Amino acid sequence: MDMEQAKQLFIDEARELLESMEQCLLEVESGEVSIGDHIDAVFRAAHTIKGSAGLFGFDDIVAFTHNVETVLDKVRDHKLDLTPDLLSLLLDCQSHMGQLVQAVVDTQAEVDKETGSALLQQLLAFLQGGTAVVVQPSTEPTASSLPGLWRLKVNYGADVFKDGMDPSSQLMYLQKLGQVAAIQLRADFPSEGFDPENCYLEMDLQLQSAASKQELEDVFEFIQDSSEVVIQPPAEMKDKLQQLPVVDQPIGQVLLDAGAVTEKELEKALQSQTRDIRQDKATVAVGQMLVQQGSLDAGLLDAALNKQKNTDHKRPAELQFLKVEARKLDQLINLIGELVTAGAANQLLVQAQEDEKMTESFGVMTALIEQIRDGTLGLRMVQIGDSFSRLKRVVRDVSKELGKEIHLEIQGAETELDKSMVEKLSDPLMHIVRNALDHGIENKEMRLYKGKPAQGLLRLNAYHEAGAVVLEIQDDGQGLDAAKLRQKAIEKGLISAEQQLSEEDCFKLIFAAGFSTASAVTNLSGRGVGMDVVKRNLEELRGQIFIESELGKGTLFRIRLPLTLAIIDGFEVSVTDTHFVVPLNMVQECIEFSAEDQAGQAEKRDYFNLRGEVLPFVRLSELFRLQSSETALRENIVVVQYGTQRAGLIVDALHGELQAVIKPLHAVVKSAKGLSGSTILGSGDVGFILDVPQLIDFAIQNESCVAS
Amino acid sequence: MTKTILVVDDSISIRQVVGMTLKGAGFHVLEAVDGKDALSKCTGDKIHLVISDVNMPNMDGITFVTELKKLAAYRFTPVIMLTTEGAEEKKQAGKAAGAKAWVVKPFKPDQMLDAVNKLILP
Repeated sequence: MDMEQAKQLFIDEARELLESMEQCLLEVESGEVSIGDHIDAVFRAAHTIKGSAGLFGFDDIVAFTHNVETVLDKVRDHKLDLTPDLLSLLLDCQSHMGQLVQAVVDTQAEVDKETGSALLQQLLAFLQGGTAVVVQPSTEPTASSLPGLWRLKVNYGADVFKDGMDPSSQLMYLQKLGQVAAIQLRADFPSEGFDPENCYLEMDLQLQSAASKQELEDVFEFIQDSSEVVIQPPAEMKDKLQQLPVVDQPIGQVLLDAGAVTEKELEKALQSQTRDIRQDKATVAVGQMLVQQGSLDAGLLDAALNKQKNTDHKRPAELQFLKVEARKLDQLINLIGELVTAGAANQLLVQAQEDEKMTESFGVMTALIEQIRDGTLGLRMVQIGDSFSRLKRVVRDVSKELGKEIHLEIQGAETELDKSMVEKLSDPLMHIVRNALDHGIENKEMRLYKGKPAQGLLRLNAYHEAGAVVLEIQDDGQGLDAAKLRQKAIEKGLISAEQQLSEEDCFKLIFAAGFSTASAVTNLSGRGVGMDVVKRNLEELRGQIFIESELGKGTLFRIRLPLTLAIIDGFEVSVTDTHFVVPLNMVQECIEFSAEDQAGQAEKRDYFNLRGEVLPFVRLSELFRLQSSETALRENIVVVQYGTQRAGLIVDALHGELQAVIKPLHAVVKSAKGLSGSTILGSGDVGFILDVPQLIDFAIQNESCVAS
Repeated sequence: MTKTILVVDDSISIRQVVGMTLKGAGFHVLEAVDGKDALSKCTGDKIHLVISDVNMPNMDGITFVTELKKLAAYRFTPVIMLTTEGAEEKKQAGKAAGAKAWVVKPFKPDQMLDAVNKLILP
């Protein structure tokens, strides 16, 4: 292994670590997981990057990462609280580390030195000043045997004194229940309108106590109406929870039984949940609501969720991965393709033999080959989850930039699709998401005005459906305005004013080149890349995109993609002795092209009357300059559809469906129009895979040429 | 300085038990048999806490608390209402009148003492 290879390994590893670091931090930021669960992974990521960067002498990376690592170390040792500010800073640092690593790959890549030193300053500030606020646990490290450390936050209401309540007596009372480890009292006096009879106090308190949460809550029962009291259970509660048996109960009950929340807190969470217009799955929302209320931390919620039977909240099981060079995998897949082809050839031979035993044994082998084929193709399949996770960061950054509050919901993260497809998908996906965030979801004021929840919702979903992968990007924003789109298209000269368009067709106008609906182009979605590029990218993947939209309610983009790019279901046709394969999902119907129809061709019109509809067609024999055999009296039309456009392909013979292993075209024919690939047929002949969209374009152009 | 608590209840047994408990905890205790009687005892001397029943002849507890809060000297005096289980309406009415603390009847002496301790220091 030479140095270059090793360097490549370092880069791959660093990127992977940075990605996992990002994901962990984002999960913590969203409140899904407590930092306690992820700090080790995050720290390790930084530590490993620093270590290996040192080996290669990437001093920039080492110097910067060292500081990140030091901060993380303090967080890990509970010497530094992970505030939202710090979390945000760490995410920025993660981005910067990504830049530094990128600079190794690409010496041209810009590293924003100013940002780097600014981040460094902020990190150092945390290192020096950060510890002041945090109270060091006063007792020896054998704290586990001691009662847990509760965190209490009391925000006294203004009327506390008027009601005759005395915070000091509550504190005295608290001492009966445990030992006050730390206390911090703040007064938030207003700059004007100060009322000496009002209470402006806030209290943070750490209490070492074996009392139950209910008992602690009761201390403040008389001020609960006027004040905000938040009680967070000690970390030890998690251990306690983990010892509980697994039960089949609502999460609220589990937490209640464990003593992690009180009835009052649960009631409050349930109430705010009912108030919430959005109907999420009840268990998730209640748990998260409790976390939001501060009644417990996310780690505890996680532990409790794990105690729930039949729980669907479990995080995806840790997967074990084996790294394989992509080249080896491609080689294997090529070989499997050959095997499938050879199998098809053998099948023809076996059928000709009409030997029962041989047919039977070959049948078994065919079944095995199919399994091996599916298994091998499966090797290339990866979960879409990673792509979705990358969008998490986009959503976070964009919503910050636009000042919109957006909740991202991800479903079907475990749905698999071809790795090569995933890579090509990330740009279009990101673009659609950015568009949805920018143009789809309204700003907070507008949402509230329209009676929608202030927080916008973006939902990503993926699932398998009939041999295809479907991805959905849905927002609850303002929706598309068909009339407005139409008007705009007319202004831009994309359609004529007379042209009648269905609603769906109007929506599809956004995919037309040179169409942009945003009157104000923000620097987010107006980057010169339009939705037309998105559509083209998806078409390259043989995907289709559909739009559903309701004005005022939101928009749904649905992308349908073939499962794999390596093998397709095709329909075999031939012209003289040349075989062609049409992708099956584009074939609509096959009709005989009779002698009378041909007779009507005297004027050499290249269209056909399909039940009263004009259907342009191309004659493959002409297009590919094939000697049309004199004997072929009967010809056939294969009607193909792509999107809303249709055309006919005239061929000699129809042979039926087949599975085609796609091979790239040889360089000699690569520039040939109308062909997208080749395949080996069972007979050993080469079949050409037709590029249907191109052929349809060709047919339509041809028709209009002749017409004019 | 010993702190003073005014106990208002028409039941002599309750006054007795509460009185004994509070005295035992080091408080000075005044007693009144109803709201009217209680108001007559609020003469301007410092009272640190009032414990009052709701249902009483002559003047009920809620009216009493409302009247009490009108007196400048007792505007900020904390009040514990003695409510019955399930009498949520009464509790709300009591809170509206200015009695922000409560103890549900029947109660044990310790429970009463707990409530008192959350409000004033002995």
